[in-house]
Formats: sequence, structure tokens, C-alpha cells
Amino acid sequence: MLRACRRLLITTILLFAIVPGSWAQQASSAESPIDVVGKVQDHNSLDVAGLHISLPRIILADGQWYFYGSTESAVESGNFVQENGALVPSDGSEITIDMSITSHLVFFWIAIALTLLITLVMARKYKRGAGRKTEPKGWFQNLFEITFVFVRDEIAKNNIPDEKFRKFVPYLFAVFVGITFMNLFGLLPWGATATADITVTGILALFTFLITQWNASKDHWKHVFAFPGVPWPMRIILTPIEIIGLFTKPFALAVRLFANMLSGKIMIICMLGLIFIFTDFFGTAVGVGSSLLVVPLTVALYVLKAFVGILQAYIFTLLSAVFIGMAAEEHEHHEEGIEAHA
Amino acid sequence: MGLLAAGIGAGIAAVGAGIGIGMIGKSATESIARQPEASGDIRGAMILTAALIEGVALIAAIVCLLIVFLG
Repeated sequence: MLRACRRLLITTILLFAIVPGSWAQQASSAESPIDVVGKVQDHNSLDVAGLHISLPRIILADGQWYFYGSTESAVESGNFVQENGALVPSDGSEITIDMSITSHLVFFWIAIALTLLITLVMARKYKRGAGRKTEPKGWFQNLFEITFVFVRDEIAKNNIPDEKFRKFVPYLFAVFVGITFMNLFGLLPWGATATADITVTGILALFTFLITQWNASKDHWKHVFAFPGVPWPMRIILTPIEIIGLFTKPFALAVRLFANMLSGKIMIICMLGLIFIFTDFFGTAVGVGSSLLVVPLTVALYVLKAFVGILQAYIFTLLSAVFIGMAAEEHEHHEEGIEAHA
Repeated sequence: MGLLAAGIGAGIAAVGAGIGIGMIGKSATESIARQPEASGDIRGAMILTAALIEGVALIAAIVCLLIVFLG
């Protein structure tokens, strides 16, 4: 059994090593450079299983809304022309808002829909008593319960003080599961990593920021505007720093997730690109030879990226919980003078 | 020149983050060796601190990417 598995693995690796090599030969003869950044960018179309699915364009230009089924039909209508891959109104004016549905947005929605589906199905199951009165049944409910208890106990309870943590568990759990889905979708064939987009992570961080400030205690604002326990001239320096600090936290949160996902994707493409580079420089034989090394390396990178995808979702959730906990915390004894800022 | 600057910047950011995360790993393994029963808490604190350091390094890396693509 083990030997059969090993043989299968080696055959697969060999196969996957030779196929890109021969493909690289074709590609280099066709003079089409690999578009590294294009792979991680947002597109107005989905390429699924060889199909090219155009996504709708919704554009506000000059105070008028335009709806089109695809980029092509927008160009055909005569109102827009394509310049460097971007749509521009043909009468020379500028686009006010581009609300077009993009590939990242589609995967964002899929992740949200999956999260909703899972939680709703599970909530119904628990409401009926399975898992509360009896043991959780099946691998799915067990997995769900492990994840949920992990988020509740390890992330929320440990970082948000007192009984307040219960209020934030739904948000933290939704963020955790949603980001995990979005990160892992990028590993699927034809998938796009929605979190490798600063706008997606920015919105997620904005939610954390709003929830943090909304639930902030009086002490939190006191720490921001009138830092307790220091002589008043110090506050001239401390208040701006604290106000900047409010905004750098969600900013770092967004950039961290975005950059991690982006770099993982770029790294995989660059690794595979080595095959093409070697083929281009030294011929097909060296290209196939290098792919024997590069393909297992890429597989290892994929495994690492799957791990990083879950880890980054954990870190995003953990830091959200820490920020919420820091703001919601109520300090009691400031009379000591040099109370350390939590 | 922009490419050179981006390369050097990314390298320096990697050095800084490497030193920082290395020191976290060092002290975390040391303290786990000293107190194995507290390994859970230490691991949590380790990941949190590493994530904070990583964030700074990644901001530097993004700035380098922007230099490459825009500058």
C-alpha cells in the first residue's frame, strides 16, 4: 500500500514536471511573457475550466449610471473605449465610481456565502439539540465545534476582559472562517485570492476599527486624549501619538494580511516561472530537468501557503480580539501615577 | 535605480524581520524548555509578537513593490 502510494506520487511528480516543460517550450516560442502581477490582480472576468466568464460592469460617469454585461459590450456600445486595459469614457470625461463586479469580489461573496451557510446549518442543528444534549455527530460538526470553541476560548476569552467577550464571538468567528476560505480559494485551480487585494483587507480592518471604537470604554478615550498619570506637557506629545496609533493598528492589520497573501502567490508564480526562464536560456532539456526540482519545491510552497492561509486568518482574528480587548478594558486604579498603558 | 533601491530595501527589511523573529523564537524555545507546562501561553504570545514584527517588515516590502511598479 505504502509502496503503491510512493510510486503514484513519483509518477505524478514526473508527469507534472514534464508537462510544464513542454508547455514552456511552446510558450517561449510564442513569445508571450509570463504576467506575474496580472495573476494576482483583480480582473473583470473569471477564467474557470477554460471558460471565459465576463462579469458585469457598473460604472458611474458624468452623473449617469451605465450597466453592461461585460467589458466587450461596454466597448461595443460606443460610450467607452479601452485604454491600457482600463475602460475610459469615449467623450473624454472621467469615471466617477467604478462599481464593476470583479473576480476578487466574486470570491469574497463565495466565501461569505459559505460562512453563512455553514453557520446557519450548524445553528439549526444545535437548536434541535444535536451537540447540546448529545455528542456532536459526524466529522463536520466536530470540526465546526473545534473551530468555534477555539475562536471562543483561545481568541476571544483570552483577550477580551470579563463577560464582554461573548458579544464579539460571532464577529470574530465569521472573520476567521471567512478569511480562511478566501485565503484557501487562492490555492484552487482558477481561483483568485480575494485577500491579496488591499481593498478587501482594508474593509475587513475597517470593520475591526469601527467595532473597536464603538465598544471602547471611557478609559480608552481617556488614554487617547488625556493620558493619565503623566505631567500635562507630556500630553502634547502623547495625544497625537495615541490618535495616530488608533489608525495605524487597523492599517497594519490590513497590510499584513494583504502582503502575506500577495507574496505567497507571487512566490509560487516566480518558482514556476523558473522553468520557463531555464527553457528560454538553455533549451528544453535543461527546462525539463529544472522542472524536476522546481515542481516539488512548488508543492512544498503550496503546503506552506495553505498553512500560512490559516495562520494569517488566525492572526487577523487574534489581533482584532486584542485591539477590541484593549479598547473595552476598564482600568481601575490610576491613582498610582505610573500605571503602565495596556 | 528604482529597482536597485527596491531590492536593497526589501533585503534590509528581511534582515530586520529575521533578527526580530529569530530573537522571539530563541527566547520562546528557551522559556518553553524552562517551563514546558506553559508552552501553550508562550506559543500564543510568540505568534502574536511575530505577527506584529512581520507586519512592519511587510509594510517595507509593500513599499518596495510600489517602488518597482510605480517609481
